[in-house]
Amino acid sequence: MTQELNVSAAVEQKAGGISKKGLSAGSVGLVGAVIIGISCIAPAYTLTGALGPTVAEVGLQLPAIFVAGFIPMLLVALGYRELNKAMPDSGTSFTWATRAFGPWIGWMAGWGLIAATVVVLSNLAGIAVDFFYLMLSQIFANSAEIAGLAGNPFINVGTCLVFILIATWISYRDMQTTQKVQYWLVGFQLIVLVGFGIMAFVHIANGSAFDPTPVSLSWFNPFAVTSFSAFAAGLSLSIFIFWGWDVTLTMSEETKGSRSTPGRAATLTVIIVMVLYLFVAIAAISFAGVGGVGVGLGNPEIQGNVFFALAGPALGPFAVLMSIAVLSSSAASLQSTFVSPARTLLAMGHYGALPPAYSKVSPRFFTPGYATVASAIVAAGFYTIMRFVSEDVLWDTITTLGMMICFYYGLTAFACVWYFRRQWFVTVRNAFFTFVFPLVGGIILTVLFCTTLVDSMDPNYGSGSEIFGLGLVFVLGMAILLIGVVIMIVQSQVRPAFFRGETLSLAAPRFGEREE
Amino acid sequence: MRFLVGYTATPAGADALALGVRLARAPGAELDVVLVLNAGDRATLTPNDPGYDRLLLETAEGWLAEALTLVPAGILVRTHLEHADSFTQGLLAAAARLQANLIVVGAATHGLLGRFAIGSVADGLLHSSHVPVALAPEGTRVMGTDEPIGRVTCAVGTKAGADGLLTAGILLARTVDAPLRLVSLVAIDRPGADARTIQLAADHAQAVLDYATDHLMDGLEVTASVASGSSIEHAVRGLPWDPAEICLVGSSRLAQPHRIFLGSIAAKMLRELPVPLIVVPRDFTVTAED
Repeated sequence: MTQELNVSAAVEQKAGGISKKGLSAGSVGLVGAVIIGISCIAPAYTLTGALGPTVAEVGLQLPAIFVAGFIPMLLVALGYRELNKAMPDSGTSFTWATRAFGPWIGWMAGWGLIAATVVVLSNLAGIAVDFFYLMLSQIFANSAEIAGLAGNPFINVGTCLVFILIATWISYRDMQTTQKVQYWLVGFQLIVLVGFGIMAFVHIANGSAFDPTPVSLSWFNPFAVTSFSAFAAGLSLSIFIFWGWDVTLTMSEETKGSRSTPGRAATLTVIIVMVLYLFVAIAAISFAGVGGVGVGLGNPEIQGNVFFALAGPALGPFAVLMSIAVLSSSAASLQSTFVSPARTLLAMGHYGALPPAYSKVSPRFFTPGYATVASAIVAAGFYTIMRFVSEDVLWDTITTLGMMICFYYGLTAFACVWYFRRQWFVTVRNAFFTFVFPLVGGIILTVLFCTTLVDSMDPNYGSGSEIFGLGLVFVLGMAILLIGVVIMIVQSQVRPAFFRGETLSLAAPRFGEREE
Repeated sequence: MRFLVGYTATPAGADALALGVRLARAPGAELDVVLVLNAGDRATLTPNDPGYDRLLLETAEGWLAEALTLVPAGILVRTHLEHADSFTQGLLAAAARLQANLIVVGAATHGLLGRFAIGSVADGLLHSSHVPVALAPEGTRVMGTDEPIGRVTCAVGTKAGADGLLTAGILLARTVDAPLRLVSLVAIDRPGADARTIQLAADHAQAVLDYATDHLMDGLEVTASVASGSSIEHAVRGLPWDPAEICLVGSSRLAQPHRIFLGSIAAKMLRELPVPLIVVPRDFTVTAED
């Protein structure tokens, strides 16, 4: 019997099995892409977290700020898309900034992304805890006692840790809901939010609203905001509400059908979300006003989580639907958010910017297992510390988050500009998409970042939490960045190869050059 | 014979590969090592990331290359990457495409107190496969890849479908050139252990042995024995087992024609067996190319 030797070492690639990138290209249709986009933005969660802090900064001009906040987001997202097309890499901002500006700035961009996502993870879990107990109290018709449990820091932290644990488990095992479930979840979220808006206007018409405030054109005038600081702070918050939208732009590789699908999906997503945000924001202000008492949006007591307070008065017996909508929205967002820090950590481990353990892929679930667990531990620790340090943990984390997003999005935008410097003016399209748009976006975000940083030194900033006479948000932001610098310096001693540019080199391709 | 190993870069995957290699030492046998990745078109809340998918693909190719280093020279082996919604679906698709005769997977062993627990992967296969499925118990890899299959045991009951199981047992014993042992499960199919049951079991074992002898073409060594005990677990523990042997069981009558469905007796045997178990589909028949 003749036996062939073990020589066929090459991986056999059969037609139909594996396509070029292992993805069945063209798998997500227009509706699917819009659903993923909305699910990543998680409007119910975002609104409940961001409405209050933004009103605290800009008052009645909330709708204007929501529209204005979209502009820098759009500009940066366009640059993001260009980079993603040129260098698809799971490290995103980290990899791109490293290619454009070298290892040190690249490292900090990666750190900014990880910090922002870890902060939002803890905020998401925190909001979920509030609504979990609210939902229980609504179901058992016992409003005060059970809902009050969320106020007990030990119960609160305990529940939050359980939520983070569950989310980690789901992410680690890469469990996914079916497309049908996603459609239902997103649809339900939209219906509840629209229902909330309609009910608010019904109350206003009946005269049963909390503080009826007539809608006025000045709400849409960004220049009516009292100071530039307030404007900047409001903007950096409203960037957060569109965060996640860029996903629809970068899904170009996977979307089904024609080349125009990703563009249409992104446009459709943003129109839906923008209309929804404006409608709900106007409804909420008209219904509750911006006063500082009761359920007025200016009341610091409720600003970290406004639907928690507004659901009852506006929706009455249907308030439990709002709890379910925010909970499901947080859960979906928790899952989609978990992958970004994990994938960036994985890329940093892969390129030697962090210990190699971070680059481990779980052989059973094909997820960045080690990095996922690491992000979960940091998010849990962050929330626990914040819950005991801050007077209003949700508010302060959202404000810090806005700052962190400005930091790493700004760096990413500049990375786009610099990386494409040799092909800016090759075509008119390039001039706008690789030069003008990201540059303007980056400058706006930088201004926002600096203004927020300076203003937040004031102990009265945000929720009014302070440490050593400095605003908690400032201390947090600086601490996060400085810890990043320290870890970076330690890594540069332990793992010098990355910092000498040996694993990921600088590049600035000419037009038409493709990288491998 | 074409043996397909459902591989993962885990201890269970190494168990499956070790068993696959031992089987594939048979003359004319081929070994296919298949690693299943998630299909990109499943619904996900997490947006797809081409960069991550590329990295995953490279990692998976690395895993397969590592798997190849565990396969000794002299065995015809190929590796495949399959994309599917689940590991089970991927293996079944690969088995159909490659016309595999047997799928080998590792049994998960994280059961309580060290007992066998069928992993979700094996579980899916054991209720839907159209080709026989071999479960490599935890630790199979320790035995290495050099030990040939010492004996093939067929656990035969009286229920319909025993013929298919016998056919599979004879085929496998011939392929790996090992003696065949037939074990009658009659004594445990019936409650109580009276003299009549024992007599029935002995008759059944003899009948099966006769059937097997009639169907053997070459000088295959074949023996028969009776498994007895108050429970299946007892009976399995009471039989002598050669560490290098393989045990075959049939499918439940609940199975669809030509598919596997792990019956309750087989499931109980699985928990006690110290050797690999092969579950044969209902109405197993030998096709022309075999």
